[in-house]
Amino acid sequence: MATAFKTVEPLEYYRRFLKENCRPDGRELGEFRATTVNIGSITTADGSALVKLGNTTVICGVKAELAAPPVDSPNKGYIVPNVELPSLCSTRFRPGPPGEEAQAASQFIADVIENSQIIEKEDLCIANGKLAWVLYCDIICLDYDGNILDASTFALLTALKNVQLPAVTVNEETGLSEVNLKQKNPLIIRKHPVATSFAIFDDTLLIVDPTAEEEDLATGTVTIVTDEEGRLCSVHKPGGSPLTGAKLQDCITRAVTRHKEVKKLIDKVIKSIQPK
Amino acid sequence: MAARGVPAEACVGQVVLPGDVLLLPAHPDEDAERLRLGASAAPRGRLLCGPGLRRSGAGLLVTKCGLLRHRQAGGGAAAGGAFWVDSQQKRYVPVKGDHVIGIVTAKAGDVFKVDVGGSEQASLSYLAFEGATKRNRPNVQVGDLIYGQFLVANKDMEPEMVCIDSSGRASGMGVIGQDGFLFKVSLGLIRKLLAPKCEIIQELSQLYPFELVLGMNGRIWVKAKTVQQTLIIVNILEACEYMTAEQRKQALAKLSGN
Amino acid sequence: MATAEEEEDGGGGGGCCLRPFSCEQGLLSRPDGSAAFIQGDTSVLAGLYGPGEVKGSKELPDQAALEVLLRPKVGLPAVTPRLGRGGGAQREQLIRRTCEAVLLGALHPRTAVTLVLQVLSDIGSLLSCCLNAACLGLLDAGLPLASLFCGVTCALRPDGRLLLDPTARQEQEARAVLTFAIDSADGKVLAATAKGSCSAEELQQCLAAAQRAAATIFRFYRDSLRRKYSKW
Repeated sequence: MATAFKTVEPLEYYRRFLKENCRPDGRELGEFRATTVNIGSITTADGSALVKLGNTTVICGVKAELAAPPVDSPNKGYIVPNVELPSLCSTRFRPGPPGEEAQAASQFIADVIENSQIIEKEDLCIANGKLAWVLYCDIICLDYDGNILDASTFALLTALKNVQLPAVTVNEETGLSEVNLKQKNPLIIRKHPVATSFAIFDDTLLIVDPTAEEEDLATGTVTIVTDEEGRLCSVHKPGGSPLTGAKLQDCITRAVTRHKEVKKLIDKVIKSIQPK
Repeated sequence: MAARGVPAEACVGQVVLPGDVLLLPAHPDEDAERLRLGASAAPRGRLLCGPGLRRSGAGLLVTKCGLLRHRQAGGGAAAGGAFWVDSQQKRYVPVKGDHVIGIVTAKAGDVFKVDVGGSEQASLSYLAFEGATKRNRPNVQVGDLIYGQFLVANKDMEPEMVCIDSSGRASGMGVIGQDGFLFKVSLGLIRKLLAPKCEIIQELSQLYPFELVLGMNGRIWVKAKTVQQTLIIVNILEACEYMTAEQRKQALAKLSGN
Repeated sequence: MATAEEEEDGGGGGGCCLRPFSCEQGLLSRPDGSAAFIQGDTSVLAGLYGPGEVKGSKELPDQAALEVLLRPKVGLPAVTPRLGRGGGAQREQLIRRTCEAVLLGALHPRTAVTLVLQVLSDIGSLLSCCLNAACLGLLDAGLPLASLFCGVTCALRPDGRLLLDPTARQEQEARAVLTFAIDSADGKVLAATAKGSCSAEELQQCLAAAQRAAATIFRFYRDSLRRKYSKW
């Protein structure tokens, strides 16, 4: 009976739940799905992480390469993020070139990196004007069940924290670079941006961490990225239902508490894999 | 925001924008859509909410940009008067009862497909012509111009045209003959031209005789004695979009002087 | 140079007022609606088609399918040089969803509405200019809307001062640049996006300034439409 009702009137079905301050999957409105993170899952990558938010699964691999720094800023390296939403993760995506959602997500991640200064690009420079690191951060969604932005940002952050770069020196005489694979250093992570997404239901209700189903029924979404100091690295609201400033403030407050939860989880995971 | 909740009467003839809220005069039972049979007041009918307006609470919400128009209480459905927004638009959306000019694009079995400028092609049954029977099919070719009216036009269904009125008479509708010239103007101009006692038409008719078909979908078909005369009419009608009444009179005076 | 900039600020180019802006509606003959919006030296041309015939897979059974194409001045769409690879797509998505929020698409189901935005020149605050052009385009086409919206860009200077409608140079110097789409009904936020980081209080300050600026822009919308209809 309930399933029939859900198929025929999905929105009404959801409204009945939301009226009672809970969701069909048993969560409260402000509750995240179970978040799990696995670090260093790809052994061939320089850093990697697998993040699960409920059913949403995202894997991020970081590949470091050497290249000449950009001409206009010789003391900087590159970070090249890319989000892929292949057709295997959901029926909503078609094979072929990246769709609008994948492109928008890639740009969102690029904006977060740029805005939060997660890594100082100067740290990636090895020899001024000659050699710098390029970090290719490939984020691939394996199972799409909504809230891809939160999962992607989280995966990116943990993967970057997992990166171990070999020491590189430039030989003054020959001008060639020498890579010392024995000595590996972690990246310096300056900021810890954490994204928190909300779906707006019926123009008024805010629910946190929406599933794919909830995203489809919602009238809008908001994503807020904060760092550990509570500063906003990104406020991304691509259209949808209008919100008042006060509601936006509520979102920010929730995002700050979410940051604490996520930070705790990251610290725990990092500690667990550290050699004793 | 400043214009929120202005009395509807005060806005008549003014430009209204989407999102504006118009307050109706306090006739509480107007919204109840019942006839008020007061001893003193005349029986009040329901207020008609025309194009570009929606009801919201006790007032009207404007959804289209344009000039607010009002018609005082008359007979029929709009016994309580009617408000609507007169907007300048180019794209036609089929409305039931509208007379339009269409172009036949395909013959598909029993129906013709007619392009009327809307989002979807209208269908026109071959039986919807005066005197047409299963044996006696009307002579309609792809590319012909059709003057007809909408029998069915709503957002959820394919629009359907007919070239006969309810008594089965053509009354001017049907295939528009050969020659002549078809052109497009804005929907606002068409409504102006179709208004009773339209000055433009009256002034033009004094120039020389010509045939004119006006479709509510913004299409006009003109035919005069010579091609030159046809084109003169076309040019004047097209220019009416931008000319004031004064300028138009001057232009016409020049022409009739020749 | 710096003094020229200061003067520009005082003269209405920045500070808490907007650069001089103007618009023209119905300037293209082929589209169903068109508008050019000029904000300082930034200008965007919008052309709108619809409600028209919809292509198979895009058809929505209960809604008009809205498509937004943002064409940069040079280069391919969605690969704008200053924005990077996904920048164009992200902006298209933002503009589309903002328009969808006000467009009463349910009145024209199974139709397509196409909005083409051509950037004519970009000297800062491009996104807000695009949003304004889009709204005027929708108005010119006479599509049914629940309310209006406008775009306001707000820059936070390194010294913490607020700057509305910044130029490209001011955007570069700024610590953070926020763009809001404000709704005309209650001045609520339809869309928001930010470059750079700021605190929650700064965000609220920017929002309040944007809402004040929005009132000016909406007055301008009304005036320019009055002018358009006065000729009629």
